[in-house]
Amino acid sequence: MSQKARKRYWKSLKERAGAGARESREAEVDVAMSRRSFLKAVGFSLSAATLSACSRSRVFKAAPHLVASEGVVPGRAAWYASTCGGCSAGCGALVKVRDGRPIKLEGSPAHPISRGGLCAVGQASILELYDSRRLKSALWGGNPASWSDVDARILAALKGVKTRGSSVRVLTGTVTSPSLEHAIARFLAGFSDGKHVVYDALSTSAILEAHSRTHGERSLPRYRFEEADVIVGIDADFLGTWISPVEYSAGWRSGRTLEGTPPRMSYHVQYEARMSLTGANADRRVLLAPGFEALLAEHLANEVAARAGAPAPFGASAPCPVDARQLKDLAGRLWASRGRSFVVCGTNNLAAQLAVNQVNHLLGSYRRTLDLQKPSFQRRGDDSTLRKLFDEISGGKVGALVIHGCNPAAELPAAGASWQEALGRVGLVVATSSHLDETSRLAAAVVPDHHYLESWADAQPAAGVAAVVQPVLRPLGDTRSALESFALWTGKPQSALDMVRGTWRASMHARQSSEASFDDFWNRTVQDGFAALAVGGRAVRPFDGGAVRSASRASAGPPGTGLALVLYPKVGMLEGRHAQNPWLQEMPDPVSKVVWDNYASLSPETARSLGVEQGDLVRLSTDAESLELPAFLQPGQKDGTVCAALGYGRDGTERFFDVGPDWISGKPTVPHGGRVGRNVSRFLSFVDGQLSCTTWSVRLEKTGGTQALACTQDYHSLKVPERLAEHPGETRDIVRETTLAEYAADASSGNPSEPSALATLWPTSSGKTGRRWGMTVDLSACTGCSSCVIACQAENNIPVVGKDEVARRRDMHWMRIDRYYADIEAGIEAVHQPMLCQQCGHASCETVCPVAATVGGEEGLNQQVYNRCVGTRYCANNCPYKVRRFNWFEYRRADAQENMVLNPDVTIRSRGVMEKCSFCIQRIQEAKIEAKRLGVPLGTEDILTACQQSCPTQAIVFGDLNDAKSRVAARMKDPRRYRVLEEIGVEPAIGYLTKVSNRRV
Amino acid sequence: MKDPASFSSRALTVALAAALVLSLALVARPVLDLRGSGNDQGHSPEQPIAYSHRLHAGELAIPCLYCHFAAEKSRSAGIPPLSVCMNCHARVTAPFIDVRAEDAAALKEKRKPRVLMSEEIRKIYDALGLTSDGTPSPDRTPSPVRWNRVHNLPDFVYFDHRPHVAAGLICQTCHGPVETMEKMSQHSDLSMGWCVNCHRRTKPAGTVRRASTDCATCHY
Repeated sequence: MSQKARKRYWKSLKERAGAGARESREAEVDVAMSRRSFLKAVGFSLSAATLSACSRSRVFKAAPHLVASEGVVPGRAAWYASTCGGCSAGCGALVKVRDGRPIKLEGSPAHPISRGGLCAVGQASILELYDSRRLKSALWGGNPASWSDVDARILAALKGVKTRGSSVRVLTGTVTSPSLEHAIARFLAGFSDGKHVVYDALSTSAILEAHSRTHGERSLPRYRFEEADVIVGIDADFLGTWISPVEYSAGWRSGRTLEGTPPRMSYHVQYEARMSLTGANADRRVLLAPGFEALLAEHLANEVAARAGAPAPFGASAPCPVDARQLKDLAGRLWASRGRSFVVCGTNNLAAQLAVNQVNHLLGSYRRTLDLQKPSFQRRGDDSTLRKLFDEISGGKVGALVIHGCNPAAELPAAGASWQEALGRVGLVVATSSHLDETSRLAAAVVPDHHYLESWADAQPAAGVAAVVQPVLRPLGDTRSALESFALWTGKPQSALDMVRGTWRASMHARQSSEASFDDFWNRTVQDGFAALAVGGRAVRPFDGGAVRSASRASAGPPGTGLALVLYPKVGMLEGRHAQNPWLQEMPDPVSKVVWDNYASLSPETARSLGVEQGDLVRLSTDAESLELPAFLQPGQKDGTVCAALGYGRDGTERFFDVGPDWISGKPTVPHGGRVGRNVSRFLSFVDGQLSCTTWSVRLEKTGGTQALACTQDYHSLKVPERLAEHPGETRDIVRETTLAEYAADASSGNPSEPSALATLWPTSSGKTGRRWGMTVDLSACTGCSSCVIACQAENNIPVVGKDEVARRRDMHWMRIDRYYADIEAGIEAVHQPMLCQQCGHASCETVCPVAATVGGEEGLNQQVYNRCVGTRYCANNCPYKVRRFNWFEYRRADAQENMVLNPDVTIRSRGVMEKCSFCIQRIQEAKIEAKRLGVPLGTEDILTACQQSCPTQAIVFGDLNDAKSRVAARMKDPRRYRVLEEIGVEPAIGYLTKVSNRRV
Repeated sequence: MKDPASFSSRALTVALAAALVLSLALVARPVLDLRGSGNDQGHSPEQPIAYSHRLHAGELAIPCLYCHFAAEKSRSAGIPPLSVCMNCHARVTAPFIDVRAEDAAALKEKRKPRVLMSEEIRKIYDALGLTSDGTPSPDRTPSPVRWNRVHNLPDFVYFDHRPHVAAGLICQTCHGPVETMEKMSQHSDLSMGWCVNCHRRTKPAGTVRRASTDCATCHY
């Protein structure tokens, strides 16, 4: 092992500064108790205890079906294939339905887009099905009205529009459903001036526009990360939020599996201003000030052209915004892997995207890694038509506007003085929103759409991939599919199923050959959830370099000075359509680890120069807008920038004021009537016709107020407490890393064998036979996306506790992703590590439990018996991994209807009880019992824990360690395998695989 | 003449004493009835339909799994849907002896025998929204029968019928002589000790290991 100095990892700035993760003592509640009140309390508890002991069980009712449905067995889950509707990426989802209630979404293993994973947003979207605030009927003028009444009024208004020859616009987010697209087209065909305007709140319009100029077609290439050996990301958070993160994460991972000799691993460089999840995973992360993306891409194009022997596509311009030598080196690597490399850029700026296309063309990426033959349809938004619509609206030229699947009043800057004023100029505004939100409040008619799990629909996320969305329960409210609404307003009412089948009969069936009859084809597709279809020979126009040169060139720098405000989507919250989902609000941001808020993040240096500390309320203002946000210090961010997340401050989030327990020192998650975070979308602007997320010359001033942020990484530290450390700054090897070069030379590099553990008083477990459940987590694969966190929450009925409880270190997630930073020469690096109960063989929690509520099981599981637990919390105090969670309260749901999502196979824990990861024991039991029932041996490889199932990069493997043939046993023998805190001798059952990266090359 | 004040004070004492006796009497019954907390042995609630296991499982010897078919393939044995009842009761609508009597009477009176329907079987037809000739009744919407559960386990226990059926246990091992019960009642106490004692003793058929007594076998 090399004798290099070990990296020092830290979780928070305080820890880096050396203050340690000393956990501040909570303010002790001063309870004055008199003798009288004490006796009262004693008397009451005594009688309450007696009475409760006397009570006989209530009589529970059981109502069986009247008529048995074939295949539906009470108490047995049924799985239906469908398509996730959490965003427009169109991942395949399997819906678990127990006794008529959908309770869990999982990734569909064979799906060509998502390949088995499902992100946090997708998994959490099932909770929204049971949201009691969803509209239950149509509204006219804000009041509930019957469907016939609302339709009659809409039809009358549309008739007026038709006779006047006035214009009709349908405004939607990206529509991937061919059936809906046809329905909208048919609806608009009835008017002399009807147009479908598509926008994406997280716009990629410039990419489409650039391809329409260089390749003659407005399309989004399918990015094949799995084919790429060199990946350059410029401000594109493709592992976190950009376009199709599950698909890209899976692809990115499969290019880094270390398989073969020499081991294969792509080289990923990320240029960005903020600390994104993708940047945190990059092999090399270079800070780039916002506004310089185009300039960087042009310099890169010139460098690559020089290697290709082609003339420099871009003339002399401003100096390179990053280290020129490094850029040359990168161009060399890109060129060496030409055809197997590409550049992706997330900046919605046409000049930057044209320059990126030029680089990709020079590299030959369009042949293999960027697919324009079978493009993606996951983003269709066109900012220029959106801009035109704004003009039409403010000019009073729109007769009727139908808004579907988007919330422009919250997501976009106003189309005039304000959205209220702008939409007031439209003759008729119809919204299909499922909630009363910023937009639907301003609409004359609200015709609420179903939740996607309630209706028939379809999706075509990419050429050649068509998928079906099937209903898994009857609509809970009196809502109506948007497909049916459009058909009815066209004058040809039809059911959604008939419409979808009609589309598939007409345009999908002929594109496959395996099923001759349409019914067979349809039935198979509904069973699989998707169908692979032939793509006609599309002629993609060859690259047109003239289009790049004739376009407006990148300016020398950003159009302003001073602080730059960068707006970004946060993992989980995206553009904000899931803002009312408490699971996503309480999911820690994968990088900052803050919950329940958005904030103005600043680099520590910038904050120091501005005199701002974490939690200070700062006012961000431009000439037109001003907004207050709490400050957050983000290491690794570009100096001179402020970053703030979109998707917050939404209507409806005031509902969260009563999330969390109601007690004497409790603070509401949001102040009464307040919102979660603040909406920053007003700072979005059109730059060169494209929606821009960056604003320059922003003033920042302290308001004098403060707002505490709840961050989960200030606690749960696995460090040696300072007072126990043998020497100051003693480090534990909690995360281990190595580089590809060192790994190729020595597979166990970065994973030094520790001196053998201390003498143990335990009997050795080595002689144990039978099963021993275990898990491995590959740190090279884990990106920190947090889909496992939500998968675990959904599977194991984990409650939402609210911001105040998280701030008190009482978050309940069984699975957390620890994020470690390390200082390197060029800034900081980050490593993510999933941390969950390690199911220790010699568990330190077990020995301290006075009531044996936590005990080791026959198959190596560390079992937690809720009904035995008396809540001493000794176990949590003695757990070196900090993975035990205590129910300080009865964490009931603020929305009782959401109880319908609960998994009936997992106990609801009550107050005063400890809980923790169980390795999804309910799934193990189910598999064992089924094997017993069928009389077959238990297929341990078929048991997937919830976290493992959802992981887009398949970082987690679970199985029987004592079965030599199992994947988990094989990975346990990997030279990269280590166990966290192995030196303390608790025999954890989880092995981590050293993170191998292409860093420091 | 008595002092009115002392009279009213004595009246109060008497009233209080009476209230005490009365409340003790009220409390005494449930107290005498007490078992261990959560133990509902002998629990036998009234059911919306007076279904007789004695008649069906005993006299007619219908196998348990004919109605409780889910016990083989699901966690819960399930209460049969009414469509299972109708497999027989579409034809059988009254006790055989009554039907015989009606047939004899009809023969004697030279008329067609009337269709007899017992009060309890009518409830099935009512719940299904059917008229007595089995056709849908226009003025009745189908609504499920809400049975009262006899066997309840606390929420933190997961019992599963499948491994027990697969291990060859007969239903009566836990549910007692159901075939003799006019009204279903809880036979065993369903306490943890009762479960564990059996798990300790029992080696499931064809295996060498005894049934598991791991906590997580039932608690998760």
